[in-house]
Amino acid sequence: MNAQELDDVYTQLCHGLTAAGEAETPNVLARLVLLLLLQVPLAEAASKAVADALAGAGSAT
Amino acid sequence: MPPNAKPAVVDHNRAPDGSAPQPSYEVVFGEYFPYSVHPPQLPASVRDGRDGRRATVAIVGGGPTGLTLALDLANHGIASVVIEADATVCSGSRAGAFTRRTLEIMDQLGVGEEIAASGLGWNRGWTYYRDALVAESLIPDRPDQRFPATLSQLQNLIEERLVARAAAFEELVDIRWHSKVVGFESGAGGARLRIEHPHGPYDMEADWVVACDGGRSMIRQSMGLTMEGQRHAGRYAIIDVRIDTSDFPVGRRWWFDPPSNPGGTLIMFKKPGGMLRFDYQLRDDEPTEEAMQPERVLAKVRAHLAMLGVDKPWQPVWLSLYRASAMTLPSYRHGRVLFAGDAAHLVPIFGVRGMNSAVEDAHNLAWKLAWHIRGLAADALLDSYSLERVAAARENLRYASKGAEFMSPPSAPHRLMRNAVLALSARHPALTSLMSPRQHSANDYAGSPLNQATADEAAFDAGPRPGMALPDGPLQRLVDGAPVDGDLTQLLGPCFDLFHFAADRGPSPALAASVASLGAVAPIRLHTLATSGTPATAGIDAIDPGGRLHGLYGAVAGACYLVRPDGHLLARWKTVPSETELHSALAHALGRPAAAA
Repeated sequence: MNAQELDDVYTQLCHGLTAAGEAETPNVLARLVLLLLLQVPLAEAASKAVADALAGAGSAT
Repeated sequence: MPPNAKPAVVDHNRAPDGSAPQPSYEVVFGEYFPYSVHPPQLPASVRDGRDGRRATVAIVGGGPTGLTLALDLANHGIASVVIEADATVCSGSRAGAFTRRTLEIMDQLGVGEEIAASGLGWNRGWTYYRDALVAESLIPDRPDQRFPATLSQLQNLIEERLVARAAAFEELVDIRWHSKVVGFESGAGGARLRIEHPHGPYDMEADWVVACDGGRSMIRQSMGLTMEGQRHAGRYAIIDVRIDTSDFPVGRRWWFDPPSNPGGTLIMFKKPGGMLRFDYQLRDDEPTEEAMQPERVLAKVRAHLAMLGVDKPWQPVWLSLYRASAMTLPSYRHGRVLFAGDAAHLVPIFGVRGMNSAVEDAHNLAWKLAWHIRGLAADALLDSYSLERVAAARENLRYASKGAEFMSPPSAPHRLMRNAVLALSARHPALTSLMSPRQHSANDYAGSPLNQATADEAAFDAGPRPGMALPDGPLQRLVDGAPVDGDLTQLLGPCFDLFHFAADRGPSPALAASVASLGAVAPIRLHTLATSGTPATAGIDAIDPGGRLHGLYGAVAGACYLVRPDGHLLARWKTVPSETELHSALAHALGRPAAAA
């Protein structure tokens, strides 16, 4: 997807999570992760994404 | 509380990981199974506090592992003494689902068909989230298989059949009931056991000891050995009830967060003899002693049946507590002492890998121990038992632990992701593999030192690789001179089996001569399978109608598969191997120099 499309989907996500509410947000994100994992063709890429996300855990950056 | 309920808190031996003793919560409501009670008899060799006859193999524990091993050893002509503390086979609700591989092994012991005939075959499962069906699973299967993918049967019945079968090997299988090992010491030459018995304690010596004495193994504890691994979160009440099950489906049903057990899980499956078994998860905040009160447990069953709209009379027969552990000894061999079954490893029941892996342990060990005792194989063959079965246990633990974590998420993030899988599965079937109980299939000894990759190995595009168990399939074989429908695994025996896929080319006299000559190295039989003709044709042992087995094994005319006595493949060739090639393969497996062999 191009930059504009990314921005559109990102915005859709943010608004959608806001509408879902803070309590429901983790559940929505968990489901989103699973659905996106199904779209990734190579396990290596998925595993790297998980590792990158975890590398940011516990820090502000 | 029902009038016959007897709350029992027993057994304060250490837990397998060496931690503090755990009580059990077994309750027997009435007769669960028509047990045969065996008298406390001893052979004449036991007198004055000593068994004057030294045992070749002492098997400590007369449960399914020990009994399978004893019969398997007998098949190889090796005598054993089975030391069992109880007077009956196992009590109550134990293992309940048995794989095809287990049934094939039982068949080689002479009890497979009768065990299958009175059980319930199944290969389906249903998963529910709250009150909705979210997935229906099917264990991949082939319609031409002799045994079902999974069989619901009673462990008690299987043990009874094994005990009955042992009577046919009176000279080789000596089962001593009411016998408890209370002292043990081992050394380079064997072991000495101190046994408690109603007729008085006695000492016994043995060349070899196999510990099949379960999760609280006395042998393991006395040797100071501790299992490695983890105890999973989650406690489960196990309840069996008698009820008219005629309109219940055969298969496993799993509920996550059902109205009958909010926040928890519940498994229900049909057992033969008009029984249903329930395993349900206790709440984390509920003390075990309270949660396991019979009236509380029965209320849960009542609620679940009501949720299903079942309005039939039922009676409880058994109640106990289960906690999943995923642990193994790092080695199953310690000199003259070997470990098998729960004495060696503890596997979560989710995924059907408990008793099934114990039976595979026994089948793997039996031929190796027997052949070493008979002087056919070097001591190193016994090391391969530990290598192969520890690797198998680690694989089983990995899969079964995933199942346990799905059943009882150990953390909030685990629970979050688990619930996301459940919520999406109905619309996204690709996610259902994450919830699968990872049903047991035969272990693959891919890394075994016994495996031989011949020069032809890469040329095969189908069929089991070295280390894999033989897939079964139908054929026509000769029985008493007449062609009879049968299956490939029925040809396996207590020896190496060489399968020659002859297609339409006929038998190979050279191969027959090679195999005859190799009989001096090790027991080995030749089976020539043809795709045409009749089993009565000279040199043909079985007909493969339509060449289905040939296709399954990627075999063109001349292909040969050399199979170990435990049904796992040792080596394969695309064309008829020479006597030297066969000789080399056998010698390598048995740890004997090719020249001397």
